[in-house]
Amino acid sequence: MARNAVSLAPPAPAAGLPAGEGYWQIAWRRLRRHRLAMGGLAVIVVLIASAVFAPWIAPYGFEQIDLLNRFAPPFRAGHLLGTDDLGHDVLTRLLFAGRVSLLVGFAAAFSAVALGTLVGIIAGFYGGLVDNVLMRFTDIVLTLPVFGVLLLLGRYFGGGLIAIIIIIGLFGWTVTSRLVRGEILKLKHLDYSDAARALGASETRIIFRHLLPNAMAPIIVAATLDVGGAILTEAALSYFGVGIQPPTPSWGNMLQNAQSYMWTSPWLAFWPGAMIFLTVLCFNFFGDGLRDALDPRLKQ
Amino acid sequence: MQRYIFRRLLQMIPIALGISVLMFALLTLAPGDPVDLLIASDPRVKPQDVARLKRLYGLDQPLHVRYVKWLGRTLQGDLGFSRTYKEPVTHLLRDRIGNSLWLTVTAFCLAVIVAVPVGIYSALRQYSLLDYVATTFTFFGVSIPVFWFGIMMIYLFAVWHPWTAIPALSWLVLPPGGISTPGVPGGLPFYLDRLRYMILPSIVLALLSMATYTRYTRSSMLEVIRQDYVRTARAKGLAERVVINKHALRNALIPLVTIIALSISGLFAGAPITETVFAWPGVGRLLVDSVIGGDFVAAQAVLMFLAVLVLIFNLVADVGYALLDPRIRYD
Repeated sequence: MARNAVSLAPPAPAAGLPAGEGYWQIAWRRLRRHRLAMGGLAVIVVLIASAVFAPWIAPYGFEQIDLLNRFAPPFRAGHLLGTDDLGHDVLTRLLFAGRVSLLVGFAAAFSAVALGTLVGIIAGFYGGLVDNVLMRFTDIVLTLPVFGVLLLLGRYFGGGLIAIIIIIGLFGWTVTSRLVRGEILKLKHLDYSDAARALGASETRIIFRHLLPNAMAPIIVAATLDVGGAILTEAALSYFGVGIQPPTPSWGNMLQNAQSYMWTSPWLAFWPGAMIFLTVLCFNFFGDGLRDALDPRLKQ
Repeated sequence: MQRYIFRRLLQMIPIALGISVLMFALLTLAPGDPVDLLIASDPRVKPQDVARLKRLYGLDQPLHVRYVKWLGRTLQGDLGFSRTYKEPVTHLLRDRIGNSLWLTVTAFCLAVIVAVPVGIYSALRQYSLLDYVATTFTFFGVSIPVFWFGIMMIYLFAVWHPWTAIPALSWLVLPPGGISTPGVPGGLPFYLDRLRYMILPSIVLALLSMATYTRYTRSSMLEVIRQDYVRTARAKGLAERVVINKHALRNALIPLVTIIALSISGLFAGAPITETVFAWPGVGRLLVDSVIGGDFVAAQAVLMFLAVLVLIFNLVADVGYALLDPRIRYD
């Protein structure tokens, strides 16, 4: 992640350092020493790979049904993690559900953070009335009982992947917008942005060339933590039956389905929840490590 | 101080209005209006009857007129009539707030009682074994899907309970859901019975807050014990206990009070999942049931109720902060 972000980095911070190391190289070096974060990152990479390559690594077909071995417990009848009520191989379903859950997680977190960044930039950069109106609007959205609202909107418009992504993204931007606004307010009166303005740079250039790159660190951290949050939200909505609808499997709706067979086949409920837990935990570990690594106050 | 509270109340008005607009929007966004839903199950209803009903309920009027009327009714405490429960929503809420409070208050106390001492100890012994355990626990607490945790607890304590093989532990079987055993007499037996039903849901509901409070206590305490005045207190030769309790702790708890006040309403709003998993007849369960059952008037009314709670506790948090921290200027 940090390596990809190198191109975004302003060359300026590197100038004063004798080793010629940029901000992002230092952050990456610090991140590599953070064991929990690297562990989290490793698991995330494996999860993404397994989701992308699901059709090739899954032991069975996505819709393949083993009618003679319905409700098979783990490690029996050639099904590593057992089978569900229809005889689907649970491992196969988990891999395919991971595609949906991760996709929703990334897409919803990305839209939430993009929206929050946009609102934060406009509020922070233009200030005055615009700022006031946008921040009061942020207050209003923050006061909403978000989970209930999402539940209701999921019931109205849910079912589709895109709808769920939009719904989660639409209510997840508030924290980022406050964060970005704060950063922009801090940055816009620093000498280099005054200098850029004095040199006649346009507003867009100041924002995207000078302010945004320097506000990138907290945005990246927020985005990472938001992915975990969005995965949890999607799972909860699907668990209540207003998120992703079967036959498209997601970890949340697998869990909802499994709940009916709790007494007889508890492993059906165990695996999807464990996957959600593991994934969210890893994003939180990674995001936390990233926050430490990107904190400019910690010089090493 | 009074002026500060008054000003904060004034500032709440536009936010409350904004929320009411969004809430009204939620109501009108619903697929089909109440009359459509009312007649959906009856094909014999004639179009002119539909039109008459819509006129009767004012559904033919423009949105802004409906909004003003709706707001007026809401302010008078009329939250509408539930289609599925055949009762005014206020009655539904009244019947369930008590049940929700049982759970929310217990979970809240549990969270604070565990989180504050653990957070303090964790900060005082940074990088100790307990600190690592506590920090890891907070990660688990914020990452675990509540519904899954609930289901697993039910399986462990109500279905599987492997420890009942040991005779001394055979009593440790908990009910999988519900709120009380029918036929239990009032008084002490009633409360003991209720306690058994509350153990699992309150632990499940408390976990997230517990993790959050632990984090905040720890970081707040870590920040405070590095301050100059704490070093001064130590340098004066005060006992460590006095330094911690009188100088550090009291200041470290100020931000925590805000976080706690802000999250009480969150605890209430977070209860839908726990209440549904454990079949606890509270406000959260009402919300979920009415959303799933397509009773959008009731669902929206519950949301409105939760939003008002958030508003009130936000005010409490701000005022509490201003009261506790003399550095905050509130005039």
